[in-house]
Order: sequence, then C-alpha cells, then structure tokens
Amino acid sequence: MSLSFSKGLTRRRLLAAAGCAGLPLRAGAATRFAPIAEEDLLVGFGHTSPVNDGGWTQMHDKAIRALKDHFPRMRSLYVESIPYSADATRIFRQFVAEGAQMVISTSDYGDFIKDVANQAPDVGFLECDGNNVTGNLGWYYITHWYASYVIGIAAARLSRNGRLGYIASFPTTSVIASANATLLGARSVNPEATMRVISINSWFDPQAAASAGAALIDSGCDFLCGIMDDPGYLRVAQERGVWAAMWNTDMRQFGPDAYVSSVMLDFVAYYRQTIEARIAGRWRPAGTFLTLGHGVDRDAWGARVPLAIQREADAARDRMLAGWSPFTGPIKDSKGQVRVPAGQTMTDMEIFHWNWQVEGVSGLV
Amino acid sequence: MSEYLHDANAVQGARPESLPAGTPPLLSLSGIAKYFPGVIANKDVSIDFYPGEIHALLGENGAGKSTLMNVVTGLYQADEGELILDGYGVTFDGPEAAIRAGIGMVHQHFKLVSRFTVAENLALGWSETRRWLSAAALAERAQAEAKRFGLDIRPDAPIDSLTSGEQQRVEILRVLSRGARLLILDEPTAVLSPLEVGELYAALRRFRDGGGAVILISHKLDEIMALADKVTVLRHGRVAGSHRVDKTDPATLVTEMIGRPVEQKTAYPRSAPRGRADVVLALEDVSFRDSAGRLRLHPLSLDVRAGEIFGIAGVTGNGQSELADILAGLSIPLSGKVHVAGTAMQGRGPGEFRKAGIGYVPEDRLHKALAPALGVTENAVMRVFRTHPVGGRMAYHAAAARDFTRSLLDQARVTVADPSTPMRGLSGGNQQRLVLARERMISHLALIASYPSRGLDIGAISLMREALAEIRDEGRAVVLVSEDLDELMALSDRIAVLCAGRLMTIVDRSGFDRATLGALMSGRDAGGGA
Amino acid sequence: MSRRTRLAVVPARRIMIGRALALCAVAVVLAIVLVLLGLPLGMVCGLVLKSTFGTVFGLENLALYMTPLLMTGAAVWLALRAGLWNIGAEGQFLAGATAAAAVGLFAPLPAPVALPVAMLASLVAGGAWSAVPAAGRAWLGVSEIITTLLLNFIATYLVYYLVTGPWADHVTDAQVSSQRMMLALPSVYSVVHWGGPVALALVVALGALLKRSRFGYELSLCGSNPDSARYAGIRVAPRLFTALVASGALAGLGGMMEVLGTVHRLQGGLAHGYGYLGIVVALLARQSAYALIPAAFLMAVILNTGIVLQTLQVSASSVLAITGLLVFAVAVSDELAAYVRLETKS
Repeated sequence: MSLSFSKGLTRRRLLAAAGCAGLPLRAGAATRFAPIAEEDLLVGFGHTSPVNDGGWTQMHDKAIRALKDHFPRMRSLYVESIPYSADATRIFRQFVAEGAQMVISTSDYGDFIKDVANQAPDVGFLECDGNNVTGNLGWYYITHWYASYVIGIAAARLSRNGRLGYIASFPTTSVIASANATLLGARSVNPEATMRVISINSWFDPQAAASAGAALIDSGCDFLCGIMDDPGYLRVAQERGVWAAMWNTDMRQFGPDAYVSSVMLDFVAYYRQTIEARIAGRWRPAGTFLTLGHGVDRDAWGARVPLAIQREADAARDRMLAGWSPFTGPIKDSKGQVRVPAGQTMTDMEIFHWNWQVEGVSGLV
Repeated sequence: MSEYLHDANAVQGARPESLPAGTPPLLSLSGIAKYFPGVIANKDVSIDFYPGEIHALLGENGAGKSTLMNVVTGLYQADEGELILDGYGVTFDGPEAAIRAGIGMVHQHFKLVSRFTVAENLALGWSETRRWLSAAALAERAQAEAKRFGLDIRPDAPIDSLTSGEQQRVEILRVLSRGARLLILDEPTAVLSPLEVGELYAALRRFRDGGGAVILISHKLDEIMALADKVTVLRHGRVAGSHRVDKTDPATLVTEMIGRPVEQKTAYPRSAPRGRADVVLALEDVSFRDSAGRLRLHPLSLDVRAGEIFGIAGVTGNGQSELADILAGLSIPLSGKVHVAGTAMQGRGPGEFRKAGIGYVPEDRLHKALAPALGVTENAVMRVFRTHPVGGRMAYHAAAARDFTRSLLDQARVTVADPSTPMRGLSGGNQQRLVLARERMISHLALIASYPSRGLDIGAISLMREALAEIRDEGRAVVLVSEDLDELMALSDRIAVLCAGRLMTIVDRSGFDRATLGALMSGRDAGGGA
Repeated sequence: MSRRTRLAVVPARRIMIGRALALCAVAVVLAIVLVLLGLPLGMVCGLVLKSTFGTVFGLENLALYMTPLLMTGAAVWLALRAGLWNIGAEGQFLAGATAAAAVGLFAPLPAPVALPVAMLASLVAGGAWSAVPAAGRAWLGVSEIITTLLLNFIATYLVYYLVTGPWADHVTDAQVSSQRMMLALPSVYSVVHWGGPVALALVVALGALLKRSRFGYELSLCGSNPDSARYAGIRVAPRLFTALVASGALAGLGGMMEVLGTVHRLQGGLAHGYGYLGIVVALLARQSAYALIPAAFLMAVILNTGIVLQTLQVSASSVLAITGLLVFAVAVSDELAAYVRLETKS
C-alpha cells in the first residue's frame, strides 16, 4: 500500500493527520509547553535494557542521575527493559497517567511512542534514535559516525592485513552507519582495507559476541570492532592477541592490551539543556544531533596504541571538529555502484538513515 | 506379634468347640459412635472379637459396616466410645498404628502395585526391609512367609499377571506377614471363582484355628452361614443383633438386616403365557479380542427371544462383560455377526443399537454409563438427548431435559434435591437405580443388564428383580449377566454359562441345577468331571 | 485429630468464598514482598488503583488487555469442555494475526470488505494451526498438550522470519515489525477498538451456544467421560477434532483483533504470552463461559498492575510471579473448599 512512501512523505502525512485531528501545531505549541516549576516537573525515562547493562542504557542512566545535581526537586520515573511490543505503549501511557510532562525514551520505539504522543498532546516526548517530529514528539541522536571514522583510521594502521571484523546486532541504519564510517576511516589510510560483519541479533549477548569475535579472528581479521553493550569480543581479542575497539563506555579493563578506543557516549549536557528548556517553557519538539565532542567522541587511546597512530587519527578528528566531513563522494556501495557522487557530501540525516553498505563491507545487509 | 502367630501355628489343631472360660476378647468395641454431617454412621456399637473366631459383619449398603471398620483400622477416630485391645483402651491415630497393634485389613480393591512382583509387594511396608536388597533375597523371604502361613504364591510373578484370587492371596499374605492377629476382609469372595472361594475358606479357617481373629464383611448369607462362627448384624449404624451362627438361621438375619422379613423370590412366574417368540438379538460365531490382543471370547452363537430372560452365568472376568458390550453395540466383534431384530448391525455403533431399542446397564456403570462430574440432568438424558422433547435439530432444550429428569427420578424412586448436582454426589445405589430406570425406558426390544444387583440393598434388589420380570412380561427381552446363581435361577428362562471366554452350554429352566451350573462356571463339564 | 472430610460435590458458594480468601492471600503476600522491597505500600496501592481505575488511560489499558485474554481464554475453555488442553493458543493467536496482517498488508480492499475477509482469514488460520494436533489427538491419541505447545514455537519463529524478512518494514525501520497497516478495526472510544465488545459478545454467545445446543451437550459428555459418550452413541473423535479446531479459530480471531485493533503491525512480540495467560483465564473461569469475563478482567488488572509496578522498578517478571501465585492459591483454595469440618453432635 504505502511501500513507496519515503520517510519525508511519511512524516508530512502524519503531521497532516495530526492537523486534521484538530491539534494546533504552532500556535498551541507555545502554550502547551509553558514554563513549569522544577518541583512540579515529572519526567519519565524508558530504557530498552537494564540500567546496569554496562553500555548504552547505563550511559543514559548515568546522565539521568547527573540531572539530580542540577534539578534536585525534579521528580523522575524510569522503566528498564521495555519490550519492543504493545507493552511499550502501555508503559509510556503509564508515564502520562502518572502525570509526567516529559517522556524520554532512550531507544527507538517507533509507533509505540508516537501513538502515545498523539494521545497526550500536552506532554513532551523525546525518542533517542527516533525519526518522527510531531507537535509534541522530537528525537535526538549522536553522530557517532565521526568517532567511528577516527577509530577506523587507527584500525587500518594497527591491522597488519587490513581485514577488520565487525560484530553487529541487527542491520539497522545506526549499525550500518557505524560499520561504514569505520571502514571509510580505515580506507582513508589503507584503500585495500575490508570489513566482514556478523550480526548476532542482540545488543547484549556476551556469549554470542565472543563466538562471533572468535569466528572473525579465525577468518583472518586482526581488528575487531562492533556495536555491543558488553565487552564479550574484547576479551576474545585480548586472548587471541588482536586489536579491538568498543562502543558506549571505556571497557579497557576487560582487555587492556587489545583495547584501542571506544565510541564514547555522554548525554549529561543534552539532558540538562532539555530539562532546562522544559522548565523555562522553551522546549520545542525537534530532531537533534549530538555532535562530535558534544555527546559523542572517541575514548582515550589504549595503552598499546602507538603515539604516531594516535596523532594521525586525532588529526582527522581535529579537522572534523573544525567542520570537515569525511563522508564526501565518491562513495561506492558494496556492489561497486557510486551512491554518493564526487564532490557531494552526505548530510548527517542521510548518514543517520544509511541503509546500504559501502564498498569493502560484507555480511551486513 | 509375629511370635504370637508363630506359636499359634505351632499348636495348629482342631478348634475347640468353645473357648475356655475367661479368654479375653482380642478387640472390644464399646459404645462406638461416628458422625458425619447430617448422618449418624455408627451409634452405640459394642462388639467383642475373640481370638480363634471368625466374626461376620452383616448389613445392607450404608448400614455402617465400612465406617466401623475404618474406625477399627485407624482411618477414622470414633466420636464416642472406646476401642479396647487386649484389655487396654487404645486410640489409633492412623492406619499405621492399627497395623502395629496387629490389625490388618484386606480391602475389596487390592492395594497392590500392579507392576511390581509378588515378592516386591510383600516387601512394601515390611518394617525390616533393608535399604539395599537383592531380588533373590526378597523372593526367599516371600517364599518363607508363604510357607509359614500356608498360602501358595509365586514370588517373582508380576501382580498384573495374577488372577483376582491370587492377588487376594498376596494381599492376605502381606497383611499376615506384617504380624496381623486380627484380619479384616471386605467382601472377599466377590471376585473369586468357586474353586478359589474354597481355598480362601480353608486359609481363613487355618488362621482362625491358629488363634487368629477374623472379621468378615459380607452381605452373602450362605457365605456367612458356611464360614463364620459369630455374626453381628448392623442396621442404620447400630447393632441389630449378634448371634452364634449355629444358633441362628438366614431368615432371622435378613429380618434383622432390613428390619422386616424379606424373602427373595425363587421364581417370577409370568403374568400371562408367553406369546410368539421372535428372535430379537442374535449372535453368529462372534469372537472378541481385547486391545492387549488377548482373545476374550471364543466364537459363539446364541439368540435371545422376545419375552424371555436370558441369563449369563460365569465367574467375573470370564467374558461376560465383553459379551454384554457386543450385545449393546459398544464393542465391535473380531469375527461373526450381530443381528438386532433380524437386521445385521455391522458397522453400527451404540447409538444405532439404542435406536433399535437395546438398553444397556453395563457392569461399571459409573465410568461407562454415567459422567460422574456432570449433573444428574445431563446423565439422565444421556440416551435420549437426540430425540424430542430434549433434542431438536441442533438444539438441546435444558428445560425439557429437567422435566424428563424429574419424571425419570420419580420412576427410579430416587430423590435428588437439585438435579444439577454432579452425579458422583449420589450414592452408588441411587446411581444404579437411575441407570436402570433410564435404560428400561429406552429398551423397546431388549435390556442388557450386567450385575444389576451390585450396589443395591436387599429391598432394592427385589424391586429390581420385579422390574426385570415386568419387562419380560411386556414382551421385551432381558439379558441378565450375574454371578449370583440364585438370582439367575430365579429369573432366567435360559442360562448360558461362560468360562474363560467359551460358551460352555445353554441350559433351559427345566435343567437348572446349582451344582451343574457351578461346575460349568469353573470350567468342568456338566457331567461333573475334572 | 482429623475431623474433616472431603465433599464429593462442592457448593459454588464455598468455592467463591475460598477464591476470595485466595485472592486476599495473594494480596497479602504481594504486600509483604513490596514492603520487603522497600516500597511504601500505601503509595503503591494508591498508584495502582488510581492508574488502573482512575484514569482514562488505565481503563483503556484494561479494555485492550481484556480483549485478547477473552479470546484466548475462550479458546482454552472451549477445548477444556472437551477434556482437551490447548496449550497452543499462543501459536494459533499468531497464526490468526499473521493471516489478518496478510490481508491488511497486501489485499487492496476497502475496509468494509477487508475486515470480514481478515476475520475469516484469522479464523481459518487459527483453526488450521490447531488442526494437525486436533486430528492427532482425535484419531491417533497423540497428546494434544505436546503438539499444540510445539506449534507455538514454530508460529513464533515464522512471525519473526516474516517481520525481519519478507514483510519487514523498510519505511520507518521499525524493528522486527511489518509495516503499519492502514486497515484497522473501528474504534469504540479513543484507542479502544471494536474487538473488545465483539469478544464479549462471542464469549456470551459461546456460553449460550454450548448450553443450548446438542453439540454443547455432546462436547461436555466427551470431555467428562469419553467412554460414556461412546455409550451414549456419540462419535467422540470428530467432536474432539471440531472442538480443538474451533478453539484454535477463536484464538486466531483474538490474534486478528490484536494486530488490527491494538498493535497495527505484525510483530515478533505480538502474542505477548496471551495464549498462555488464556490457560489461566480458563482455569479461573472453571465451568462457566460467562465467568471468563471476570477472569479476563482480573488478569487484565494484574497485567496493568505489572505495568504500574515497572515504573517503581519492580521487574516485569513480577506479573508472572503474581499470576503463578494466583493460580496456585486458587488451586489450593478449590481443593480446600471441598473439605468440611465434621461436627460432633452429642
């Protein structure tokens, strides 16, 4: 039926639908999110995994706990391990039923949160990794691909044979962007570098991540990276004497010799600004990217990463901080077709919705 | 206790005519009363049980025999009165305590583990059973015990390969080997062939003569007269009379048991002479194999005519139930043909047999002809739910079903306050009466009744027999399966005798004779040979 | 000593009292656990009551929970009437949902046509999903408990395959989901769709049908005592087959209501254990189809309580624990209700 709709069309149609339902979009928005006293504010946070998962959710939780220092009188609720099912809807509805004025989901819940947002137009909703903006629903995400690119440069220099292994969860756009960015970084210094990907259908499965890592090493990879909440494959890299780069947090303790760096997340500043804006009545639904150095960055380099390599990679990071984008054409997909013509630069939005693997990446889509 | 028996066995000999003066009772019941909600199960029961005596307890169903024995064996505690064992007042707080005191019971339904061997069953509950023991040691012990009590058993045979009589022997041996001085038997001959009955009598007399006490629960007068020394009659939970058997007679006992003299008739003459006798049911070379592959019926032929009562005699488990099932369409014969009123019934089920006018009271009524968990109404309409007024094209008329049930209950003389109560809430006798009334109603051609007197008291039995005679007089046929020769001889026009699945013979009324029939039932020829 | 006896027939009033006490016992155990977890009891109770019964969202949640529970409960209950344990309502639910989703996703029909078609498709799919276990049970005596249970896993993985493979949503990149369907059950009020009233009506109709039809009588006879059913002239095997297939069809229809009414996408986690909770609902309802309604309501309250408790960091598994405790307490109370104290009169 609507298989041919693009994302933009979908969003526009939804906005139109919201308009038809009689919800004032602009004029009403100002009064809807009127200033509120800190002690009256109740914020609900919904997480996809346990708050002590050692990865993604833990980083969000850390930032939420930091909010207490800034807003000691604000009340907050959270629910962890929300399934990706109709129960997610019920939990977000419960936040509203308990009186929350802001509901923030730290993972993508698509319709499940959008439906609730439509039913509760006076409540502000934010969805991490989401892609809808309506009268009261916005999204935020980290431009992790810049950090991945920096790590990719180090990977190509550290790898002896230019063969990188990537442990993926699901072939979602975030994962594709992460893998692509890492290999583009690697190819910037070693055009022969390749990347093999294994998806383990989970964000947290140390056992599966470890066996996927071992399989990649067996197939000749000597640099592991991926997007996991656990240090499963880092331990394997340490044992087998290859390099590994991680995601979310500093995990060097689990493999001090193998550790290269990590795509580090930091939501403290963003959450603080969001709550500040909500209290002041300035909050408006929008899509927000947390950029390099402001919410996402590479971690301090591993102890065994040579200084020269650190410098070379960090030089690219400095250029990115100065405004340069490495995601500039020509970029070919894995079938050899040019998808980004020479001279054209991908926008963050395009990278966010990357759904094809670049040349040299195999096994992802 | 076991030394007691051992000693007793050593002085095996003729029983003294009367006990020496001053011998104390082994067990005395003194003023025992037991109440259940709204029911007085026992009241003022005082009986003495002496060593060296077989003491029969006689009473109708519901007279309080079972409750009293449950009190004696420690399953229930008496609400009033005392149990005095060897001169001392005792209370048993459970069956184990009673067993320790030397009281053992052989139930009507044996409490044996059917997959275990005889020796293993004997080892169960034997206090000296060691944690580790070999099969050989168990068998050796079983053999020793069997020898000690003079009961012949095969230690390594699995229980489920034994006949009822052999199982009963194992059960008795188990109770005795645990040191019982007082042996209680509940209807012990119900499942035995005449030959086995004789063996049981001998074993019990041997035990008595060794100084043991026996309580025999029975409603078979001839059995009591033959075996017991004393008899106590219970009625409505109280002692109605207590006698030395040689000083009383069956008529007195029956009067005491039911409160009025009832003579079961020995014949039920026709109200009108028998008319033209069409064959309503015919079997032609019918044989039957059960699901385990055993041939339960050897090819046999017989026909049942309108207006006759056709008796089927045999010891339980010799093919009568299988034959009755085939006559009612419930079982499909292995070979041969079944005709109902001249129509071959090949490939037709019980529904068609019922439609043809065959009613059936099966042996296991509760599980075959009733749904115990469903209401009385649902059970009452079980054979008529398709027809007007209860059934419509697709419908089930609950109100009509209730009306039907009420009239059926009236006919069956069963009072039920609420017909929606589950069937299992009714007494066995009432369940039986209801099935009988229901089947009588649908049996336009013939009624097949398996053991219809089981579960009924004497009063109800005579009513049931009158009813069967009435059916006959109305020109319908009755197939009466029974183990009670008196009943069969009183009612039947012809009697077929089954033994081990074979049709021994069919005897006409003029040729009825207890001895001949009994011999045929135990597999001997009418001539009385081996 | 033991002055109690077991009744053969337990009056309904004793059962009701016993169950009320069982519910109280569960509440007490729950309260103790909450206190041990350090949660203020009064606040939690207030929150649960207010969120469940005091808000529109709470009441809507109850209605949305009740709908699938009524359907799977009715499915399991119907099979139980025939003495069969349909453990496979979960799989039949998914089969029905998949069939309805196929109509919703691919059939270019206007809603007034597409909805009946989807309904029919879900009935057929649910029935078909239970047909093989039903045939095995009816004619070969293969335990339906095992076969229906195993088919649940097949259904689950089939749905996962569809929603991550051929039917995966490539428009909004929703995970393990099909695309959102435009075909939807009409709304009664806000998010509450017509599935709820239809489910209620179906349960009532089922109760009336079984009470007043010959089939209902035959089924209860087959379920209560197959031997006496044969004796009554009923062909037992076809009845068992029909009952289990109809049970599957009911569960399948429940799946259609869930996918077209509540979730709007075919999803990996769609069945949400409703098939298994249906067993609980049917057990609570005992003999009466009408009792399915309060039983499903109670179960919905428990599920919604689970949602509320999650905002207090009580794990979602608490729902399973509470349900297990409830089933256990009810089973014990039903058994104890059969025992009466013996009055000794003098």
